[in-house]
Amino acid sequence: MSNVDLILPLLVAVPILMATVPIALGLRFDRTGWGVTTLTTTALLAATAYLASAVYSDGMVTHELGGWPREFGIQLVADEFSTLIALLVIATATAVLAYMRVGGPRGNTFYAGYLLLTGGLLGLSLTGDVFNMFVFLEIVGLATYALIASGDGPESAVSALKYLILGTVGASLYLIGVGFIFMATGTLNMQVLSEIMPEVLAQGGQNLVLLQAAFAFIFVGFALKVAQWPLHTWQPDAYQHAPDGVTPVIAALVSTAYAYALGRLMYTVFGPEFLTSTPYLTEIVVTVGCLSVLAGSTLAVIQTDVKRMFAYSSVAQFGLVVAAFGLVTETALIGAIIHLIGHAVMKAGLFAAAGVIAVTYGARTVDEYAGLADNRPFVAGGTALLLIALIGIPPSAGFIGKWYIAVGSVQAEMWPVAAVILLSTMLTLAYSARLLEKMYFTPATPVESPHPSGPVATDGGHEGGNGDDAHGSEHGDDAHGSEHGDESAGNVGASAFTDAGRIGRGNPDAVSFGMLALVIVAAIIAVLLGFAGGELYDLLDPFATEVFNE
Amino acid sequence: MIDATYDILAYAYPPLIVFAAALLVLVLPRLLGFAVGALSLASVVAISLLAPEGAHLTRTFLGFQDIHPFLIDDFTRMMGIALGFLGTFAVIYAYSSEASRKLAAIALAYVASALGAAFAGDWLVLVFMWEIMALTSTLLVWQYGGDAVRAGYRYALAHGIGGSLVLFAVIAQYAAVGSFTMVTEAGETVGFADGIPLLLAVLGIGVNVAFVGFHTWLPDTYPRPHFAASVFLAAFTTKTSAYVLYRAIPEGNLLLAYMGGAMAVYGVVFALLQHDMRALLSYHIQAQLGYMVAGIGIGSAIGVAGAMGHLFNNVLYKSLLFMAVGVVIYRTGENDLYKLGGLWREMPLTAIAFAIGALSITAVPGFSGFISKGMVLDAADPAYYGAGEYQALYWLLFIGAIGTFLSFIKLGYYVFLHGPSDYTVKDSRTGQTVAMFSVGGACVLLGLPAIGWPVFADLLPLVDGITVTELDTSLTPYSAGHLEDALILIVISVIGFKLIRKPLSKMDYSDPALIVNPTGYYLGRGTMLATTDLYAAVDNAVVSGVKRCYWAGNNPVLAVDETARRLPMVDVPERQHADGGRPSTIHLRAGIGTTVLLLTIILTVIIWLLV
Repeated sequence: MSNVDLILPLLVAVPILMATVPIALGLRFDRTGWGVTTLTTTALLAATAYLASAVYSDGMVTHELGGWPREFGIQLVADEFSTLIALLVIATATAVLAYMRVGGPRGNTFYAGYLLLTGGLLGLSLTGDVFNMFVFLEIVGLATYALIASGDGPESAVSALKYLILGTVGASLYLIGVGFIFMATGTLNMQVLSEIMPEVLAQGGQNLVLLQAAFAFIFVGFALKVAQWPLHTWQPDAYQHAPDGVTPVIAALVSTAYAYALGRLMYTVFGPEFLTSTPYLTEIVVTVGCLSVLAGSTLAVIQTDVKRMFAYSSVAQFGLVVAAFGLVTETALIGAIIHLIGHAVMKAGLFAAAGVIAVTYGARTVDEYAGLADNRPFVAGGTALLLIALIGIPPSAGFIGKWYIAVGSVQAEMWPVAAVILLSTMLTLAYSARLLEKMYFTPATPVESPHPSGPVATDGGHEGGNGDDAHGSEHGDDAHGSEHGDESAGNVGASAFTDAGRIGRGNPDAVSFGMLALVIVAAIIAVLLGFAGGELYDLLDPFATEVFNE
Repeated sequence: MIDATYDILAYAYPPLIVFAAALLVLVLPRLLGFAVGALSLASVVAISLLAPEGAHLTRTFLGFQDIHPFLIDDFTRMMGIALGFLGTFAVIYAYSSEASRKLAAIALAYVASALGAAFAGDWLVLVFMWEIMALTSTLLVWQYGGDAVRAGYRYALAHGIGGSLVLFAVIAQYAAVGSFTMVTEAGETVGFADGIPLLLAVLGIGVNVAFVGFHTWLPDTYPRPHFAASVFLAAFTTKTSAYVLYRAIPEGNLLLAYMGGAMAVYGVVFALLQHDMRALLSYHIQAQLGYMVAGIGIGSAIGVAGAMGHLFNNVLYKSLLFMAVGVVIYRTGENDLYKLGGLWREMPLTAIAFAIGALSITAVPGFSGFISKGMVLDAADPAYYGAGEYQALYWLLFIGAIGTFLSFIKLGYYVFLHGPSDYTVKDSRTGQTVAMFSVGGACVLLGLPAIGWPVFADLLPLVDGITVTELDTSLTPYSAGHLEDALILIVISVIGFKLIRKPLSKMDYSDPALIVNPTGYYLGRGTMLATTDLYAAVDNAVVSGVKRCYWAGNNPVLAVDETARRLPMVDVPERQHADGGRPSTIHLRAGIGTTVLLLTIILTVIIWLLV
């Protein structure tokens, strides 16, 4: 065994330290953020991959910071579960950069926040004690609020504020829960806790009551953070109003990491024995999850804004994960983890697609998606694949997750959960079909084009009343081009509404290869994951077996 | 050496070949692409005939061992031949019917998924293919646009529900039995475990085979897309599902048998009342499926063999009928049979092809339908192999046979015979003619006395040569007794036709919709819309319920006001706009305060429950 465990602190520390670099360099240079971030995440991706190869061949890797024993010090743990999440985090964080290069947002401070978020997420997945989990929760939270607020307009700021207040309340509840745990057991380390837990359970009495209260606080705190109905209220606003480049990251990673943390606490810290022996506990968890599935899907069906629809869809998908956590069977736990991964890939792709479509086609509502397939075949194809995967039609990432959760629900003989999965598939079908049908089978209506024919009002500032439409906008683009060199996409907002030429609307030139590639690659991965169900199951099996046979 | 060649065929997985062809159709020039599609399906026939018996391509999938995507036994062999043969000519037909490459690609993908379901050797693969089949067939409907889109939605919902039921049936089966085995090593079909798995499976498959009450999607959807797409749709989903129904319940079931009888009668009654040609044929799909379901429900060797034989024939002649009707629609642009007539002078080839199909489906001796429908009737008839409890079923099926006669006389009469033609149109195009007569030729050949039908009988599972192995009796379709039965059937039908011809021809002079349709319209629409309306009502209730709750959540103050206003003895002052009536710039749904309130309530409840 080499010093592979040294990677662990580096994974957490490097991005947080590097977060200062774009700001520092920003004093002299303008555009360093993207380069620095890409360099950092790529290096971290390589390191995580190396770590993963060690974990999956030799088992768990741990690191005690500063050599302090785990009872007192800070421990970082990479096991089969956390490594998979860390890999997902860093891979997605790297991939989405391909979108941000041209799709924005820009600025050195933005990338500082982005690196901070990456560090926080990695820390959240790798931390080995419950108090540091709170610290990383806060780092992730703060970075997320900042990234959401980096959007234009007051909506972004208000939704970030709403998220900030509610998110902090959620994190505080978690901290109260941690306090109770500490009172009951006198330790904060997860592994030590998992060893003490059976003793407390056997003794019963006051300490057990403390633990039950702790669970209540922690679960409700996370129910808010993971956006379970009816505590999801921050989430649709946040996802809808965040900049298009940011939504894929927070939708794919932030709630996923919170759900990971919830799973980690439920299974490693409290343990299956505690979950099953406490009356009403599994029922509560399953009920909250199932309600979220139903309410989230139903709300998604009635949305008109596509990003908001996807946001409610996330409420439903995380409901499925939480319900699966509540089933307390090995298969359901693995199913929940696989669904977390699959959902992250699909939602990253879908939100990236929504961003691309907003730029290239000027469409943000379901109705505006009409005729997309004929005019923008690639992004429409990618979106369609992702939606089909989300419904759970095999072979796809959505199918294997639901499959294992369904198998788990049957094993646990929780027929209501099985029925909810069935219903959720139908409801997912309902809102996906709405979008698919618009994209592929409804012709584009020129009336919906956001600009009037004749002289272009929005372009007046540039050109005045200068002849025909196409000529004017062409001229306008040239002017932009000469001002900004190859960064002509900097005018996404302005030129999206001026390019009223042949295609009718949107600004196809503002979409880079990287933005499109992100959508397509996510779609392909979502399908490929459908074939990898068995492999993922085998990867996670040691973790689940250990949890259940301790 | 020859053995080695055959062994290689064990790796030629038909769905993959057809799917590859589907992709090629998109990129190749039109003629070449369709040729590749037709060839790929022809190769499926060859593979089905020649591939060695047994489960191939066995692998581990989703962590489950012994998954067999490619099973060859008597049943799948027959399915492969039927679907491949028909598919080949359906592609040729589509080519000369000016179907787009996109339609052909979707159709081929659809055929590939149906083949995948037909060749599946265990329930896991089956459920995969089942879901994909639902998706691809929906796309095939949607592809036409217009009216077909809404019908496609309903179709997708019906098949989504059915597919999910099958999925859960398979999971429940796994929970009950511990494996996904569909066929044991010895070739025995396992079937679903009694209780929840069987119930879910029969309900789920019941959607696809159009049980009475679950059938609404069928006449709703099939008349709407491109007529070449209808040919594909008519052949694959329902027939594959009937085969799967046998796999699910190999032992048979009395209730299932009677469901088959009910489907046969219900289907023909409503077929008789249709005036859209393809809707008429669609109801006949249900009626013909009734015979298959009845045969499977009876469960005896001759019943199952008859059901499978009828399945095989149905793939051929029902598609042939859709092709012939498709040519009529193609040439005249008319779907309503009352607006046509005398077309046999204009398009004699199409008329002959239609006649072959009609004579087959009505089971006239000399055509393939006679053999298989006779087997199912024999299986039910207490005078042959049936038992007392099947007496009523026998009569139901007999009534179904008469109804089939009547409705095809009606269809043929009004489209091809009645009066002079209003249209001066050309006959079918070469490709259409080739397709129709190849399929029609098979219908004739496989039914010929003495030479033809033993070939067909040998093709059937559970039948060796012409002997039903399990019962140790030979089939005698052309015995005096059987011919007598057929004669009785024909005589009754002809007399029946004589009796209703007057009203039928009168109806043509008056508005037919006024006389035929009242019952047909209200009963048919009633049952058809009952399900959709019920769904819509539930949907509306849920949506409006959600919207109300939603609004109440957004506007708690207004909600309280509104509620208070409706209560007696409560005086509510008019509300003033606190913000001067200015619309808010951001629509904050549930505000921060509401959420924190909810959070507190939930936390309290959970702590109260847990501690």
